[in-house]
Amino acid sequence: AMLRGATVVLRRALSSGQGPEPGQVPGSARLEPSLLRFLVCPLSKRPLRYDEATNELINEELGIAYPVIDGIPNMIPEAARTTQKKPPAEGSKQP
Amino acid sequence: AAAGLCPYRALLARRGGALRAFCGSVRGLAAGPETHFGFQRVTEAERREKIYRVFESVAKKYDVMNDSMTLGIHRVWKDILVHKMNPSPGTLLLDVAGGTGDIAFRFINYVRSVQERQLQRKLRHHQNLSWQEIAESYQEDKSKSLGDSQVVVCDINKEMLKVGKQKAQHLGYSEGLSWVLGNAEELPFDDDKFDVYTIAFGIRNVTRIDLALQEAYRVLKPGGRFLCLEFSQVSNSLLSRLYDLYSFQVIPVLGEVIAGDWKSYQYLVESIRRFPPQEEFKAMIEDAGFFKVDYQNLNSGIVAIHSGFKL
Repeated sequence: AMLRGATVVLRRALSSGQGPEPGQVPGSARLEPSLLRFLVCPLSKRPLRYDEATNELINEELGIAYPVIDGIPNMIPEAARTTQKKPPAEGSKQP
Repeated sequence: AAAGLCPYRALLARRGGALRAFCGSVRGLAAGPETHFGFQRVTEAERREKIYRVFESVAKKYDVMNDSMTLGIHRVWKDILVHKMNPSPGTLLLDVAGGTGDIAFRFINYVRSVQERQLQRKLRHHQNLSWQEIAESYQEDKSKSLGDSQVVVCDINKEMLKVGKQKAQHLGYSEGLSWVLGNAEELPFDDDKFDVYTIAFGIRNVTRIDLALQEAYRVLKPGGRFLCLEFSQVSNSLLSRLYDLYSFQVIPVLGEVIAGDWKSYQYLVESIRRFPPQEEFKAMIEDAGFFKVDYQNLNSGIVAIHSGFKL
């Protein structure tokens, strides 16, 4: 379900180059869709996923996210944050 | 303490390519080997930090300083670079260390004027078009006024990019222009993507020039061109002496008066002296894999444009 959601987000991000999407991130702060053709992770040179909600470029393999600030992606590895994988069924294992 | 080791380190710095490449690739390696910041000896990490701070400090006054230091001649140098590039509509340009957008804007202007001229020529050959047809032809070319040309400006310094983006808004550049915060030594771009790679007055501020050249090679398409505009060595001895006088006596003073920053401009002048001369830089570019590497001196070598091709 999460993968499907991500694909929808990516497709929406690629198609809607014009107006700002209704949501938290204002149009001017979002990543320009045309950049997605070129951008890769500077460390692994592998493709990235643009997360429209958090306005970040995610490298799933390495588990890092590069922020987009004022529409400018910050592709300096030191600036990237690690994406913590949530443990499955949190809180269901009560003693 | 470093004094005694200095000559050894200098030798290591020049010859230790393989070792340094390994060190560089192991991320998180502490300070790194010794290098220079202007005429000071510092570690690689220190150098990167210092240079970042220089440009953070000068960003807002960068353009003004360029005009005053070079008496506006830098504009001509940059014009010559773009003319040499001679981009046709549809060209994809990556401008590295392009912070305030000088090359990017010139590229856009150039491509636009080429488009315009092509349109004029097309219309002149179709004398018997109806008004409807003429109006239509204006429509379709308006939407692609750049003809799918694109320029990506990549810089490591947030402040410089900010200034560049503001300038773009001010001057009305929006289409076909994007901004990325990235490191020339570790570009966030995929292989074989760009038609042209430019770096104007930026490469001497890169700590590992060899890595930047390798990255330039990687991201260029086969047939793509590398163009570097940079301060170089003056061969004429009289001019050289006048140039030294101007550089060391006038420029830092200008820096203090205009930007309130003597030190940054002292660094600038020293970094120019530190940068390898034309032939040596040419060899470095060839080492990265480029072919037909050549250079063109401007103003007797005060500035040089190096060019190479990826085959």
